[in-house]
Amino acid sequence: MSNYYNMPKLPTESSPKVEIFVDDKAVMVPGDTNLLEALKAVGIETPHVCYHPYLPVSGNCRQCLVEQEGPRGRMLVIACYTPVAPGMKIYTPASSARVKNARKATQEFMLVNHPLDCPICDKAGECTLQENYMECGQNEGRLRPEYGKNYHGNPAHQFVDSKGQVRGGKHVDIGPRILLDEERCVQCDRCVRFMRSVAGDEQLQLAGRADHTYITTFPGEKLDHEYDLCVTDVCPTGAMTAKYFRFQKRVWLLSHTPTISMDDSLGANIWIDHADGKIYRVMPRCNPEVNRSWLSNTSRMAFQNFNKNRLPAIGGISVMKDAIASASGKIALVAGGECTIEDLAALRMLKETLGDRAEIFAGTLKVKSEPDGIAKSGDPMANRAGFKLLGLPDDNLYDLAQHVSDYSVVVCVNNDIIGEGNKSMDAIEKIPTRIVLSAFNDETASKATLAFGIKHWSEVQGTMVNSLNILQKLNAAPTAPDAELKPAYEVLSELAGKPFTCAYDAFKKAAEYAPALAGLAYDTIKSTGLHLEGGNA
Amino acid sequence: MSEHIKGAVHFVANNNLKFDRPDQPIGALPDPAQTFGHVNKIQEQPNPKEVLEKLNTPEIKERCADLLSRYPVGQGALLEVLWLVQGVFGWVPTEGIRWAAQVCGCAPAHALGVATFYTMYNHSPKGKFLLQFCRNISCAIKGAQPLIKYVENKLGIKSGETTPDGMFTILQVECLGSCGNGPMMLVNDDFATDVVDGQLKMKRGTTLTEASIDRIIDWCKAHVNDMPKHDVLGGIVKGHSGHPGAPGAIAKPQVPDYAPPSPVLCVKAEADETGATLTWKGAPEFTKIVVEKKNGSEWVAVGEPGVKDKAFVDAAGKVGDEYRMIATSGERVAKPSAVAVTTQKPEPVEEKKV
Amino acid sequence: MAECVKVCTENFGKGAQDIEVYKKLGGYENISERLFNMSQFELIDYVQRTNLRGRGGAGFPTGMKWSFVPRGTGKPVYIVVNADEGEGGTFKDHFLMLEDPHRLIEGLIIAAWALGSRAAYIYCRGEFLPCIESLNKALNQAYAAGYLGENICGTKFSFDIFVHRGAGAYICGEETALINSLEGQKGQPRLKPPFPAVSGAWKSPTCVNNVETIMALPWIFKHDPSEYAKMGTPRAGGTKVFCISGDVKNPGVYEAPLGTPMMTMINEYAGGVVGGKLKAVLPGGSSCAPLTAEEAAVATMDYECLASMKTMFGSGAIIVINDTHNMVDLLNVLGNFYSHESCGQCTPCREGTGLLHRMLNQIVAGNGHDGDVELMQSLAGGFGGVTICPLSISLGGPVGAYSAKFRADFDEYIAKNPDHAKPRVQETARPGIFW
Repeated sequence: MSNYYNMPKLPTESSPKVEIFVDDKAVMVPGDTNLLEALKAVGIETPHVCYHPYLPVSGNCRQCLVEQEGPRGRMLVIACYTPVAPGMKIYTPASSARVKNARKATQEFMLVNHPLDCPICDKAGECTLQENYMECGQNEGRLRPEYGKNYHGNPAHQFVDSKGQVRGGKHVDIGPRILLDEERCVQCDRCVRFMRSVAGDEQLQLAGRADHTYITTFPGEKLDHEYDLCVTDVCPTGAMTAKYFRFQKRVWLLSHTPTISMDDSLGANIWIDHADGKIYRVMPRCNPEVNRSWLSNTSRMAFQNFNKNRLPAIGGISVMKDAIASASGKIALVAGGECTIEDLAALRMLKETLGDRAEIFAGTLKVKSEPDGIAKSGDPMANRAGFKLLGLPDDNLYDLAQHVSDYSVVVCVNNDIIGEGNKSMDAIEKIPTRIVLSAFNDETASKATLAFGIKHWSEVQGTMVNSLNILQKLNAAPTAPDAELKPAYEVLSELAGKPFTCAYDAFKKAAEYAPALAGLAYDTIKSTGLHLEGGNA
Repeated sequence: MSEHIKGAVHFVANNNLKFDRPDQPIGALPDPAQTFGHVNKIQEQPNPKEVLEKLNTPEIKERCADLLSRYPVGQGALLEVLWLVQGVFGWVPTEGIRWAAQVCGCAPAHALGVATFYTMYNHSPKGKFLLQFCRNISCAIKGAQPLIKYVENKLGIKSGETTPDGMFTILQVECLGSCGNGPMMLVNDDFATDVVDGQLKMKRGTTLTEASIDRIIDWCKAHVNDMPKHDVLGGIVKGHSGHPGAPGAIAKPQVPDYAPPSPVLCVKAEADETGATLTWKGAPEFTKIVVEKKNGSEWVAVGEPGVKDKAFVDAAGKVGDEYRMIATSGERVAKPSAVAVTTQKPEPVEEKKV
Repeated sequence: MAECVKVCTENFGKGAQDIEVYKKLGGYENISERLFNMSQFELIDYVQRTNLRGRGGAGFPTGMKWSFVPRGTGKPVYIVVNADEGEGGTFKDHFLMLEDPHRLIEGLIIAAWALGSRAAYIYCRGEFLPCIESLNKALNQAYAAGYLGENICGTKFSFDIFVHRGAGAYICGEETALINSLEGQKGQPRLKPPFPAVSGAWKSPTCVNNVETIMALPWIFKHDPSEYAKMGTPRAGGTKVFCISGDVKNPGVYEAPLGTPMMTMINEYAGGVVGGKLKAVLPGGSSCAPLTAEEAAVATMDYECLASMKTMFGSGAIIVINDTHNMVDLLNVLGNFYSHESCGQCTPCREGTGLLHRMLNQIVAGNGHDGDVELMQSLAGGFGGVTICPLSISLGGPVGAYSAKFRADFDEYIAKNPDHAKPRVQETARPGIFW
């Protein structure tokens, strides 16, 4: 609530370095940020609950206390709201018992009215309160049971459990995608700030006051927004949980693969959380320049179809090769936005092998919309900038539709041109030989003369260039439903006769076509991507 | 244990847990409050249509327009508009909160947060006479609790409840700001410690007693049909021009030069062997200061210290010289400062803070 | 009892709610050429020379507060009158507004002239509907008489006053919470800096002053600043409206110079302690530490003396407690109050005040245990200086002070529990099936 317009200033690579004294030791920290971020930059973690780098500072959890030397002696201040000043003197629990005790006391208060039901809580394992407890709490229980707990909850949902304790609402259905466990809420205000300041639609609010505060939507209304699942990410406790992931998997059993969501040209950075070859959830991966910490519901929930309706890899590559070789007319190579740079390098290599007979077409027929300013650019063709980088057309599908009669073969890679509901593309069916490389048995594949399954973008290693001209890395999650499936670049390079054995081969090939990629290796691309110079995107 | 939990987990012979959750969306689990029973009665809300009909009247529209013209942002009027809702219904129904949010141009959830934060908005209907008893420290010292017990027994209800006939509701509230009359109470909006000449009164030196409570309750019963009417916002103020820029406001922003320009204040001149040292107090808006010295009957400019300077030395100054300073703020020249006659600088014993 | 100059209460009981009466008593004389010929800077300096300190509780020098307000920023400057008087034992603003609303309006015009304010808001707590009615009636008269509105008295100066009715939240007495409430938000204190003087209501410079502070201005402006300054102590000038309540013969509102001895206030102004012997005095409202009878005997009512006694002057609300009361009961009342009025923002206050209240409830109900007092002190120690506003300390301070000064009262209650020496229930046996 308080000063909700104060967005935290985050350090960047170009932040000026200033000297401050932490526990009487001089350290150089970024000078244009808050203390919490500055300490983080030098490896000192400060426990916090309400602070979030991409939400306005609210400063209500009081967990990130440090001591600051001031004109009136050493004062406790909250690190998240204290700007760094050159020469300031800071004391952390490493040297100050007062800070240690203050954090411990806050942690104790935090848990006074919080249910200790970690064994049945879905957030256990990634809960901020658990982390903070291990970091700065570890209190011995001092209270007597007769003091009771005052669970936070909407009066309309409160009930008396079998032990006679008044409880807050359990698994309250506050939206189509989210369940709320009212008594687990610690009133950190993060979800309220997210909905108000980021989503721009204030659907959540803390109602009541004091220890009767509870989180709620307007009575009778549901939390429903394209980004509403982000509140489950920002929620530090198990209060807000996503229905789709609730009780599906313990989080410590999940493996995390960092990759890029290839359904939008912003290329939101994501984690694919999987176990036993199955994707359980997709989480936003923080990238300050791209999607910050946010991810749209569409991108997040898309994984549910990644292993459905898949196209098997049956028929063999030689059949395709023969079909292309025996073609009399021209060959159309159609690529879709989900193709990585590697796929495109292989495609261009194939085109060069085939010579003038072949022509590359690309684009999407899906509707383009405006950027929403959060985590979507609105352009469904994810790697559009990658096409431009490799000198390939990125929007000429209609040329193909108008000149279908010139072509005798079409090779369609990762592009469901028929299934996108645009009638003009039905003409493709007039091309006698229709080869489709696709992860899914979609409409284009079903109308193909030859359909061959390949790996989905979540299962391949590669790179893409997003609409901000940032080169981003995709990593392969081991979730392919069939071991026979190959990435598109392998199939295409085999068709071209010069098979790539790994993604990096393809990437090196791409560097031949695009000088901007020369000299780069996967290791030199940071997890947050690499700005390409002089982009055309 | 309730049905839905029973069906979910089975203990089997080898002590392994078998989980056979029926195939149903998790969101459709029954609400435990329905299994165990709600603690609180769910307030029945009136029909939204009726609520809006009662709120969208010309008088209320006029009041709202008046309120909105007072604040630079419509949301500022939210508390007052919620009061209007309470004035109509005696409490704030959910639909009324949504209406108030719409009037003020904020999100309904925000208005809900506000309406539940402040304790004077009632979220359920109250009796005709809302008896609010202060339970804070001064009244507690003077015996508020026994008095509240007395009223509770007399009316046969507990604090927070309403009598079955809908006449009285008892509330215990925090300090009512009349501790000198403690213990005391509010009858709807009137402070009362007694009934004097057929009216509720809070007179200096009187406090609530059991006898006076009896009189007050009798008075309430006698005045069911002619309750004292109070405007919920304490009446309408006519003649104000609103906040500059607000909808319906005719006010213009304050002109910056309504007041005369600031002169230099506290000019002091002290002489020692280096000459006369002038000190003064300057306003932050000064753009130029001129020091003048009296030469016979004429004032002669002797210097122009910087606007941020703290002191000015006139090397030729001596005890008895007269100085004044003239400040300029922007384009406006202020009247000269008071004349300062130079005195001998005292020996530096201690630094005096200005 | 020396006869004291009445600064704020001089019109009490004279029917000054009506503008004609008020003018006959010398009202609105300040709204004259003398004011209009004064520059903003001169007027602020004038107030600074009176040593007037804010009467709301914190005691910040008013002139200095005004001088912090930046001028020429292009943003409007707001004056907000803090009439959200909710501290237990404080009731001066209630009667000041009820008896003399025009003085507040006159004071506001002077303050507005000093600050260049176009609009002022009187944030009056919702319970004070009679005050709001009295103010609105006075405002109507003042508008009709031309003291408010566009181009006051033929000058270029325009000024409007609006009354904002609060809706029941003690915490709105904190200035940033009050500003939030004025903006139509929940009344939760804001993080500082920025301070309201720089960025307050609607991100504009805002000066929040107590009713009494503003109501002292007409007198001050009529007289010489030194005349006001010399009435009080060297660091705080003037008179103060004291509210005396509790176990005294004549509780009420009394105006007296700062620095008056506490016992003079109790015995001479309020007629002495009734119902028993003096046990304790709260010198500055419910949130301050109590003074024992011995301490009260030597205390004087000013900022410095009370601060040196580890309590505070606050809003000048003297609550007298006689020896028939057990201090635990009173602390329980405070626990109820502060846990009810916590805004729910900072964790220690939100959860801690409620917890302390539940603990006190248990002690009062006869379920106290040995060590409870130490535990409460330890928990209250967790409030110290860690929250946005001082509400948590308003309970934490008394918990520490009551239990230190009146420990016998606590022990008396705890001894009522036959099992008071039993240790905290340790972990019960766990069901064997899991382990």
